[in-house]
Amino acid sequence: MNENIKTASYDALVIGGGIAGGETALNLANNGFKVLLVEKDLSIGGKMILLSKVFPSLDCAACITTPKVSEISRHPLITIFTASEIVRIIRGPNGAFKANLVKKPRFVIVEDCTGCQLCEEACPVSVPDQYQMGLVGRKAAYIPFSIASPRVAAIDIENCTLCGACERACPTKCIDFTQEPVEYAIDIKTVIIATGFNLFDPIKIPRYGYGRFKNVVTSMQMERLLAPTRPFPTILRPGDGKMPDKLAYVLCTGSRDASVGNPICSQICCMYSIKQAQLLMGALPMADVTIYYINIRSFGKGFEEFYEQAKGMGINFIKGKIGEISENPKGNLVLRYEDINEGIVKESEHDMVVLSVGILPNQEASGLFQKKELTLDLYKFVDQPDILVSPSLTSIEGVFVAGTAAGPMDIPDSILSAGAASSEAIGYLNRIQ
Amino acid sequence: MDMEIEKGKTVKYLKEKRKVSPAVIEDLKKFTKIKKGILDALKEEDLTIDQLSQKLALPHHETLYYLMSLIKYGFVQIGKMDDMDEFFSYKIKK
Repeated sequence: MNENIKTASYDALVIGGGIAGGETALNLANNGFKVLLVEKDLSIGGKMILLSKVFPSLDCAACITTPKVSEISRHPLITIFTASEIVRIIRGPNGAFKANLVKKPRFVIVEDCTGCQLCEEACPVSVPDQYQMGLVGRKAAYIPFSIASPRVAAIDIENCTLCGACERACPTKCIDFTQEPVEYAIDIKTVIIATGFNLFDPIKIPRYGYGRFKNVVTSMQMERLLAPTRPFPTILRPGDGKMPDKLAYVLCTGSRDASVGNPICSQICCMYSIKQAQLLMGALPMADVTIYYINIRSFGKGFEEFYEQAKGMGINFIKGKIGEISENPKGNLVLRYEDINEGIVKESEHDMVVLSVGILPNQEASGLFQKKELTLDLYKFVDQPDILVSPSLTSIEGVFVAGTAAGPMDIPDSILSAGAASSEAIGYLNRIQ
Repeated sequence: MDMEIEKGKTVKYLKEKRKVSPAVIEDLKKFTKIKKGILDALKEEDLTIDQLSQKLALPHHETLYYLMSLIKYGFVQIGKMDDMDEFFSYKIKK
């Protein structure tokens, strides 16, 4: 074996540090198992940590996620690798797995960084901030976001000019440009896939004008605009900085649409749109908010009441299918739609449009397993061969699935799914020991 | 190798191995120029996005993006809202 490859052994490998992966890791560790949690991003917390509030309780998402993330980070039986990717997983003759992974350089000594942000201040570079969905800039030396875990700096080497300003500014001398990728070969007994989902890119529906019309945004961009750590001082149109007062939501953008390759319902868009509409009514009390929908699917506990509450607040609901969005000289958007109830085509002008984008499968885990195939379902989510009795089982014995890696679901269902996956994994570990 | 590394001055080691792409240099030049343009304009008076956009000959959305970045970096702050309750003006952070 190459002597540069580091080795270690754990009971469980959890792939993905979002809310499902984190919950799974915690459950396993709380039952005495040694866990390696591998996250490809610079911080754990997944998409939930970036949300404004959650439905239907309207609790602050960060306030729920941050203590959980802190518990995961401090747990003595959980080792976290951020900025790391699994290369392959092979099952050995004894039934155990060997995982090869690469930890990418952060160019910062994590243990020495105090999160003072002096490197950020000194860095002259500004590039779009991916954690603010490109609405504002960030530096090449940066802390990913204010509640990131670990809350330490990283160098975006692709956009770094190698000027050294960050190193000169760093009081603890923790910036280290000599870091290189580190390879690991890890022995594990079980694997839990919690790789989450991808969001639909609305650029694939040109008639909605996303990218061309700057006042057409995605629901994830609106999440950031509504969050306490938002990119703008208040809610403004990205096209010209106007405070919007007539907003529209277009539901089922990239869901229930075979023409874009995703015929299934994303299960969360109706409710997160209603949530955002309620938050907008709070932030912009004079604003009109209209939701264009095909069907409102308020199927969960408290969801129908939440929908009724939105109607009571004055949010308009129009059963209508959007044909095309165009822009007028004022930067306002004209929605041409079929009013499904009346059966006629209408037009309506709004000053900002939010596309409620759907959930797509993250297929990254499917190619990782060698010798035995991780089967995907018809829609490319991880297949659940025994969905009614043991929903976390996959096509490979000892490999389990948690959260939206298995299909669209909301946060409470992701937590439940993580509970199921960790229970199955604990049962499996007890059986093989 | 570890013994030779001078802590706090490690960028020189990477400079020997890696070239900075011309696109990164161009982006830095563009940002520096726009940052100077915005800050110089705001030194004279508080301005709206539209007024800044005209002064800098930049599209409105780009002006907004750079202005919001400068707010984040601590150079600019939000000012008053116009009489129509539509647009804010922006000013230098003192």
